[in-house]
Amino acid sequence: METSLSSLSHSLRLQLLEMIYQSGGGHLGGSLSSLDLLIAVYFSKIFRFPGDHFVLSAGHLCPALYTVLSSAGFFPSDFLTSYSSFNSPLQGHVSTDVPGVEYSSGSLGQGLSFASGLALGDRSRSVVCLTSDGEHQEGQIWEAAMFAAKYKLGNLINLIDYNHYQIDGATDDIMPLGRLAAKYIQFGWTVTTIDGHNFPQIVKALKNAQKSDFPNCIIAKTILGKGISFMQYDYHYHDVKNLSESLYLRAKNELENFK
Amino acid sequence: MSWKISNKLQINNLKLRSEAKSASGGIIENCKLKSIRQSFGDTLYRLAKTNPSLYVVDADLKSSLFLTKFAQKFPKRFIECGVAENNAASVAAGLAKTGKTVFLSSFSCFSPAINWAVIKQSICYNHANVKIIGSHSGLMSGDLGATHQMLEDVALMRSLPNMQVFAPIDALETEKIITTVSRSPLPAYIRLVRPPSPLVFDRKLPFTIGKSHLLKSGSDLTVLGYGPILSNFLNFKFLNYKFEIVNCSSLKPLDPETILKSVKKTGRVLVLEDHQKSGGLGEAVASLLLSSDLHPKFAHLAVDNRFGQSAKDYNDLYDHYGLGSADIQTAINKLMK
Repeated sequence: METSLSSLSHSLRLQLLEMIYQSGGGHLGGSLSSLDLLIAVYFSKIFRFPGDHFVLSAGHLCPALYTVLSSAGFFPSDFLTSYSSFNSPLQGHVSTDVPGVEYSSGSLGQGLSFASGLALGDRSRSVVCLTSDGEHQEGQIWEAAMFAAKYKLGNLINLIDYNHYQIDGATDDIMPLGRLAAKYIQFGWTVTTIDGHNFPQIVKALKNAQKSDFPNCIIAKTILGKGISFMQYDYHYHDVKNLSESLYLRAKNELENFK
Repeated sequence: MSWKISNKLQINNLKLRSEAKSASGGIIENCKLKSIRQSFGDTLYRLAKTNPSLYVVDADLKSSLFLTKFAQKFPKRFIECGVAENNAASVAAGLAKTGKTVFLSSFSCFSPAINWAVIKQSICYNHANVKIIGSHSGLMSGDLGATHQMLEDVALMRSLPNMQVFAPIDALETEKIITTVSRSPLPAYIRLVRPPSPLVFDRKLPFTIGKSHLLKSGSDLTVLGYGPILSNFLNFKFLNYKFEIVNCSSLKPLDPETILKSVKKTGRVLVLEDHQKSGGLGEAVASLLLSSDLHPKFAHLAVDNRFGQSAKDYNDLYDHYGLGSADIQTAINKLMK
């Protein structure tokens, strides 16, 4: 299964670049960092959609979600290049107008609370919520952390795309999160830290999270702009605007030859 | 020393007022007072007995909202979020998406004040079946002071797409509004107040979304308002004018038909609201009238760009902020000229 997840990661990374380039720009950096997490959620067969729930709290990561949902058959891939265009359901921040999407977001920090409400109302199903590290600066995340522990939401998984960057720089410079794992443990959660680009680790963490009696936090260490050398670790690629043809071709070449 | 003097003056005022009240037989003559928020708590308790999908999401104000009985009888359907209104609003939305009808209950100075952007995204944009209950609205919360006198809630909620806004005039109408919204899948904000209020709603009338009720018909002046401040007007006798009093409890959607019909007859409008002028009923009505072919005389009594303050008797605040009987008389004089 890991091989097929890796090959999907390879092809969707190219599709993401194509989508952002053709549509004139978008949130590519975080989409490339969170892509493998989304692939594992939708293609590892741990969860069933519809049935189980997925909430994208960091709504700007929607380009990655769109490619994954399209691959999973929710809508044809022809739609992808209409991303953030007039009259397209593929909004610049994710919306429930898109088949397969359960929560519209964009304003950070709300999704984990929404996912907690889902987990409380539908205890027989798993609820996976994808948040970002920068998003943890929002106070509401910590309100949700208290709430999920109080109500023992063992079916809730907060999957954190921890790529260390946010719109204006490094998370550690803008507002350090400190010892994030320790914080979640103190709040009463089960915490695992993994390599967010290693499929065996992601799948194992998601499987283990299913058996927990406590809310689950998976801190996935990821790389902003993963797979494109000049974008990696560079926060200026949080939101890509008007990528030049030469940079596009260079990125494409790198992704095609990426192992 | 000066504060002591003013305190004394206030006590004297209170005394005078209570004498005046007893002389006229209370604010509304022969009218029973009943708590609007208790009516909310009691109604929800009653509805929950037969509707198992009815949930409460609370932010540490269950006793103030008379939800203790609900919490005791239906502990699994009473979700306590603590003093965290942002989380509460999104939790309510998530719960609603699993098929529940959720009443998100707090004071309006916290919800929808603190969590407006959360209501916008998690509830309105996501079409979540959540009813927001905001108690202690307006200057009527009296001694709690400026931070707890929510005067902007109608403006905040009216501006949101997918949001309906209702404000019951008394305990009876509260019961009808809560029952109606519990059967509707749409988001709604229901504005409640703290003190017991006169029972003026006609028990035989239904509450219909988008409909206003005439509390009294007349031909000289249309008085528009919502909440118990409007019932004060029922007793208001000023010269021999015949007032037509319209209870605009459905603030969004508004009832243009009833309002325009009345204004066409009277040619004069007085809007009275325990809220800021900005974004309230007055502006909604002004916009409606300017777009119509009617050109009535118009007056709007509301709090004008100021914060409230504490008072033992909220009527002192009404006098101070331009909503008292003297202000009403002045406004009517101008309109009737």
